[in-house]
Amino acid sequence: MAFVIVTTIIVIGTVLWNFITPWWFTPLASNWGSLDQTIIISLWVTGVAFVLVSGFILYCVVKFRYKEGHKAEYEPENTKLEVILTVITTIGVIILLAPGLIAWNDYVNLPEDAIEVEGVGQQWVWTYRFPGEDGVYGNTNGRLFSSKNTFGLDPSDPNSQDDILIRSNHLHLPIDEPVVFQLRSKDVLHDFYIPQFRAKMDLVPGQQTNLWFTPTILGTYEVACAEYCGTGHFAMRGLITVDTMNDFQSWLAEQPTFFDTMNEGTQGQGKQIVQTLGCVACHSDNGNNGIGPTWKNSFGAQRVLANGETIIVDAEYIKESIVNPNAKTAQGYAPVMPAYKMSDDELDAIVEYIETLSE
Amino acid sequence: MEQSSAYEGQPLHEPKGWWGRYVFSQDHKVIGLQYTCIALAIGLTGMFLSLLMRMQLGFPGLFESIDAGSYYQDVTMHGMIMVIYLLTALFLGGFGNYLIPLMLGSRDMAFPFVNMLSFWFYLLSVLILVSSFFVESGPTGAGWTLYPPQSILEGTPGADGAGIILMLASLAVFIIAFTMGGLNYITTVLQSRTRGMTLMRMPLIIWCIFLATFLGLLAFPALLVGAIMLIFDRVLETSFFMPEIFKGGEVLDYGGGSPVLFQHLFWFFGHPEVYIIALPAFGIISELISCHARKNIFGYNMMVWALIAIAGIAFIVWAHHMYVAGMNPYLGFFFATTTLIIAIPTAIKVYNWVITLWNANIRMTVPMLYCLAFLITFLIGGLTGLFLGNVAVDVPLSDTYFVVGHFHMVMAVSPVLALYGGLYHWYPSVTGRMLDDRLGKIHFWITFIGTYLIYFPMHYIGFLGVPRRYYSNEQYDFIPQSVNDLNQFITICALIVGAAQFILLYNFIVSIFKGKKAGSNPWGACTLEWQALESPPGHGNWDEQLPVVHRWPYDYGLPGATADFVPQNVADEDIT
Amino acid sequence: MTEVINNQKNKFMGLTHAEVFMYLLMTVISITFLFITNAYLFRMNFADWQSLPMPSLVWFNSGALVLASVGMVWAKQGAKADDNSNLKIGLMATGVFGVLFALGQIKAWQELNTFGYFLASNPANTFFYLITALHVMHVLGGIIAWMRVSFRVFSRSKKTVTEHTIGLLGIYWHYMLLVWALLFSILLTT
Repeated sequence: MAFVIVTTIIVIGTVLWNFITPWWFTPLASNWGSLDQTIIISLWVTGVAFVLVSGFILYCVVKFRYKEGHKAEYEPENTKLEVILTVITTIGVIILLAPGLIAWNDYVNLPEDAIEVEGVGQQWVWTYRFPGEDGVYGNTNGRLFSSKNTFGLDPSDPNSQDDILIRSNHLHLPIDEPVVFQLRSKDVLHDFYIPQFRAKMDLVPGQQTNLWFTPTILGTYEVACAEYCGTGHFAMRGLITVDTMNDFQSWLAEQPTFFDTMNEGTQGQGKQIVQTLGCVACHSDNGNNGIGPTWKNSFGAQRVLANGETIIVDAEYIKESIVNPNAKTAQGYAPVMPAYKMSDDELDAIVEYIETLSE
Repeated sequence: MEQSSAYEGQPLHEPKGWWGRYVFSQDHKVIGLQYTCIALAIGLTGMFLSLLMRMQLGFPGLFESIDAGSYYQDVTMHGMIMVIYLLTALFLGGFGNYLIPLMLGSRDMAFPFVNMLSFWFYLLSVLILVSSFFVESGPTGAGWTLYPPQSILEGTPGADGAGIILMLASLAVFIIAFTMGGLNYITTVLQSRTRGMTLMRMPLIIWCIFLATFLGLLAFPALLVGAIMLIFDRVLETSFFMPEIFKGGEVLDYGGGSPVLFQHLFWFFGHPEVYIIALPAFGIISELISCHARKNIFGYNMMVWALIAIAGIAFIVWAHHMYVAGMNPYLGFFFATTTLIIAIPTAIKVYNWVITLWNANIRMTVPMLYCLAFLITFLIGGLTGLFLGNVAVDVPLSDTYFVVGHFHMVMAVSPVLALYGGLYHWYPSVTGRMLDDRLGKIHFWITFIGTYLIYFPMHYIGFLGVPRRYYSNEQYDFIPQSVNDLNQFITICALIVGAAQFILLYNFIVSIFKGKKAGSNPWGACTLEWQALESPPGHGNWDEQLPVVHRWPYDYGLPGATADFVPQNVADEDIT
Repeated sequence: MTEVINNQKNKFMGLTHAEVFMYLLMTVISITFLFITNAYLFRMNFADWQSLPMPSLVWFNSGALVLASVGMVWAKQGAKADDNSNLKIGLMATGVFGVLFALGQIKAWQELNTFGYFLASNPANTFFYLITALHVMHVLGGIIAWMRVSFRVFSRSKKTVTEHTIGLLGIYWHYMLLVWALLFSILLTT
């Protein structure tokens, strides 16, 4: 009897929970309401199935309790019953599959007149690129990647000069306009996921994938990487702000083109370099320690190493920690930082930037 | 009982000495126990790893040593251990080895020597796996799915050291072990059934293990090929799966490979793998539910056909793990359809178990409690699979806690409940004693309610969008503080459930000495393993004559018989 | 002792235990090779594929493998006709040519290396080495089985090794040849 009582509570609780749960879909901010609807249909169909079958089990446990001397009914087969149950189940499956496939059909057919954005993922930051005025993306080549040319754009391709580069984690999009993302990765698998837009798609190195949605509500939303990509996976957070078209255009006008970025020097570029190489995923500039120690007020300060030694954080230490991170790991931090290759100019620029955070 | 000497001609291997009898034994029962012990030991390790994970999620920062690197190592090894080294080994190597010859009326497996080898290769694979904890890089932290490129690149724990290499080597050895064992099970089922034991008179658990073995024999090669190619990429710097990669400020020396190819190979194995685990669990439930409800299983023929359908369709659903992986999107239509179709034979099995309870005579023993709990939790797990299988719905839910909740319910909770039910049910056959009933019920209640409380809420934070494989949720505004509170609650439940498993361990060990003596057939079961002269059966299982089978294994409540069951080897004229 | 178990005729399609085991094993091995070949054919379509030339040594190796199969046929005839010397001659031939094949394949790899066709330099190269290596490993398995049978034939009276066992060993070697024929033709033409 205990079983019946406990399980009845569990079954009722399970059903009731759907109405009182504090954790539900985030408020929808895109056109993908059809996905939410399909989930709701699924909840109803599976909910009914769950209640009916569990209820039947509980009824049997109560009604057909063991009685000494009594024997169970001997019923090896009942083909008719099996067929009816199969048909009902098949109908249930169709009710689930139909709306799902219709929604999928919409999802995979990219709209024609959409804004195009390239999303480029790497360990552990997001960057973006617009095709610029000519509406054509410049060619990229893996061999051209560098911390200066973080998108690997080919400078000899005329189409690339006007490409607008968003070298930070923060993208803006205009409201009520469909956007098609061309997604690619520079290193490992990632996944571009914004809960409020419901959309997600993996970024696969060596390949291009696509995603589309139409943002419908103004606001700022978070991008959460949804495919395990190494120790910084959970720190790969991006932002998307949905603006009015005017605000979006203003924001876009402020962003540099490829041409602009090629004509910057490395002087004072430390802040940009640490963004594009992904250092910011683990090292903050605001005092919060993450996977790695914060840079704020670190220059010139004392630091205890994993081996117990105490050193002063200076230019040499910083540079060594970039090219050979596990040589002097800070105490209390895991030795998980990958090594980076860069030019002396770039190293100096980074040191300079970190210094500015310690005044 | 009639003579069945025509089915003899299997001179039994006689063990020599203590080592030959208990260590390098060729007796399927000893081998089955060896598998069980090693699998449970490594399973406890896997459980411990999950508790480490839960400590980080529930009480972040409490244990400084659980940093992002070691967290991902815990996640990876927990998953790999549980799926392959615990569940596959225990269901097939443990239950399969022990029960197949006994239930078929045979003296041993068809190839006892190869059977013994399969255990020692399994042990070797476990040792290689465990050794990865002691190398400098530590074990791999690439996620149990080991996707390249990250699994072999710096930035993932264990990738630039021996961790990933040992993992892949261990898998290769396991696959060899599995193949040896698997060939044995199939051959034995096809060839070594005693007289009267037609295929359609085999207990359903044998059908389940038989088909699960087929699945494994055909699916593991895909993993083997993937693992070999991945090891090549890691050690020899080839580019099977490695495209052009820019990392750490430089272009790496790879190019031209396809990460998605690995995923296809992995999941072509991976999906049948979950049925390799589920099918034996189904089999255990079929045996337990009919025996403890004292009623024949309903719809035996349909159960067999459903199993065959599930086994067949299992091979054409794999890419439902890859809907958003970047494969051709139109494949989504195909795989969503096949995935939802496989729900139909699975549902039929559930209906048949449930109808077995109708007009039955149900004994609420510990095994029956586990059966009922299995049904409830398998319903949840199976029904949530319908969400994820439906490709469009998978878009918001993929890689969130909804997936974590689903696969734990359907692979960890329900099969483990079935497993425990099976342990309580067959313990008297193996040891000749009963497990303590009261301890059994305490263990049951904590495990059932505890695991439900752990995994059910996860589906809802999945709806919210909380991603899986996240070391911490701190940074994300869309994840409210209440999720952290839930994580704390789940962790506490996990600790309690984890501790409760030691009740079973205690019961297991102590009952060997202090348990109530069981006699040869304490549950009144019809299947052959209970009809041996004594429990546990001796070497060779039967006396001079093999049993002869006259009926199917579910004659519970047979009209015309005084007792409420008639064992398989009782002829019509001998029914009292 | 195990001889008797293996040869016990039983129910499934009139096959013996050992035959069921062997056919299943061959199925599993076939699937493994199917997957690697599939991966090969998939990868072949990419732009950076550069087929490598087939060393002529490999043709000789293939010939050796054919002769190894012939040896098994000879041995089987010998066993059938109760002719011990033919059985032994056939078995020896298989052993010699089987080992020659394996060694020859290793030599072929060395040759390719000398001419600059390194393992990791091109996917076509990697697949070539990997596919041939996988096949050689399975041939080595056949050699281990051969050793076990030959040990019994050469050290005791042949009565303990039945025609059935020789037949099964032969089937495995013929299977290895068949797999090689398929792999070789694919590697040759792509």
